[in-house]
Amino acid sequence: MTQTDTAIEAALDALLLADSSALDGKDMEGWLANYSEEDEASYICRAAENSENGLALGFMYDDCRSRLEDRVTFVNDIWVDTFQDYRTRHFVQRVAYQRADASTISMRSNFSVFMTPTDSGITQVLAAGQYLDTIRLEKAGALKLLSRRAELDTSVLPRYLVYPI
Amino acid sequence: MTETGLTWPKNFNEVPKAAFTRKDIYAEEIKRIFFGQEWHPVAHESELPNPGDFKTFRLAGVPLLIARDIEGLVRVFYNACSHRGNQLETAVMGNKTEFECPYHRWLFDSKGDLVGCPNHRDFLPGFDKSDYPLAQPRFDSFYGLIFVTLSAETETLTEFLGDSQNTLRELLGGDGRLKLLGYQKVRYDSNWKSYTDNDGYHAPLLHQAFKMLNWQGGKGRQFAATKHVHICFESALSVVSGPTVLKDASLIAFKGQDPSVGSRIVSLFPTFVSTKHLDVINLRFATPIDEETVEVHYAYFAHQDDDEDMVSHRLRQSSNLLGPCGLISMEDASVFHRIHIGNHTPGNAIFQKGVHDQSKLESEFLQNDESGNLPRWEYYRSVMGFERAEA
Repeated sequence: MTQTDTAIEAALDALLLADSSALDGKDMEGWLANYSEEDEASYICRAAENSENGLALGFMYDDCRSRLEDRVTFVNDIWVDTFQDYRTRHFVQRVAYQRADASTISMRSNFSVFMTPTDSGITQVLAAGQYLDTIRLEKAGALKLLSRRAELDTSVLPRYLVYPI
Repeated sequence: MTETGLTWPKNFNEVPKAAFTRKDIYAEEIKRIFFGQEWHPVAHESELPNPGDFKTFRLAGVPLLIARDIEGLVRVFYNACSHRGNQLETAVMGNKTEFECPYHRWLFDSKGDLVGCPNHRDFLPGFDKSDYPLAQPRFDSFYGLIFVTLSAETETLTEFLGDSQNTLRELLGGDGRLKLLGYQKVRYDSNWKSYTDNDGYHAPLLHQAFKMLNWQGGKGRQFAATKHVHICFESALSVVSGPTVLKDASLIAFKGQDPSVGSRIVSLFPTFVSTKHLDVINLRFATPIDEETVEVHYAYFAHQDDDEDMVSHRLRQSSNLLGPCGLISMEDASVFHRIHIGNHTPGNAIFQKGVHDQSKLESEFLQNDESGNLPRWEYYRSVMGFERAEA
């Protein structure tokens, strides 16, 4: 059991880091590759303040695979050269996980994201919060995000968002 | 009258960049505009649908508590204890039928009346609780949109709104019967006037989504209302005719009833911006923080008559289309800061599109003219007391 648990934990951490790495590298295709190809795959970025008050609205509400793919199009094609760019740096830490069934794991992680606008070069906190993930164990043993909710402690963002958090 | 030494350009199509960047001018704006004779939207009644619901908001630093009492009446209070002025409510929203100050346990009911204060036998002789209700600014409402003014001299809300009333009513679902979907709150690192000076010229150019989707604006008009120069746009919706670049076309679908009233924008002086586009109903409650920061709370709504499918559609569209991270509008959010940086250079911002004679103020504008913002700048100049330069 210990060996099995360790292997699962290593795989969960690898997925968590792969997502951060893709985002910090502005690799939207790489970001998308972390998600399950199921139609129900989703990413929602929402203020915890909204969630706590029963309000479902998010900063980003990609509640199906099609919208995840469109998110890549927004960043890579539609918005290109129209915004002042910024670097991000994600710090993530798995806090808890639980096997929900034979093919699904729930995971909760803390994140904080620093951002550095290209024009000022001054680093500040972009957002902090937690990821509430449902992870799919796929046939080949790979882990993919079925859903991620980035729940932001930061209810007033210090700027617009181009990239998912 | 504080002398700021700012000379306003002779030409009506020019605005001095220094108006966006000087701290002393910002301080004067707070006095003359935010504490002056203007009405400021701070909430919509549908944000607090139930008795006891409340919301807090700071308008130019002034803390407000907007609350619905147990009988259903909505009031605006200063969010400060009537005793020693302590901030009374720290939550951004919630439900309470009483508000207690933790400092000395003074207790106020949902009407703002003082109902308890410990040890009052040791208070000033003649002390009467009825003399210490929560203080209120002047407030009023229009189809549920709650306005506050911090001046006793402000005209009535009806006079303030003038000809913008019909457009604003249409934007508020026709009857103001809305249902809150949630918020996107953000600060922009720009002067508040860069945020509000958004114009009709930029929309098909800055916003790449319009071009990529070959999404032309529908037929429409823009006009200015009252001396405060509220800017209104009324447009029909047009269909997207370009190639499908989106896999989920519901983001740009219109499921409402009448595309001829599908797009409305009302920008009320000084900071309120509201939009109804496709099925998004968005009210943007904004407040300046300092001369280079503005905070905007984008509140999104469904209509009370919507069925479950329509509410879900509005939620999905509202989240992703027109906010600070929206498909169409993220670029606005980005450009505000660039405007602000550029305004730290000498000289004037010069308006061109729709300007026919720079020696006078126009009164007719096409939908994509930027000149529609100029009457507002003239009102700003007069409120601020800046003298126009002579030839």
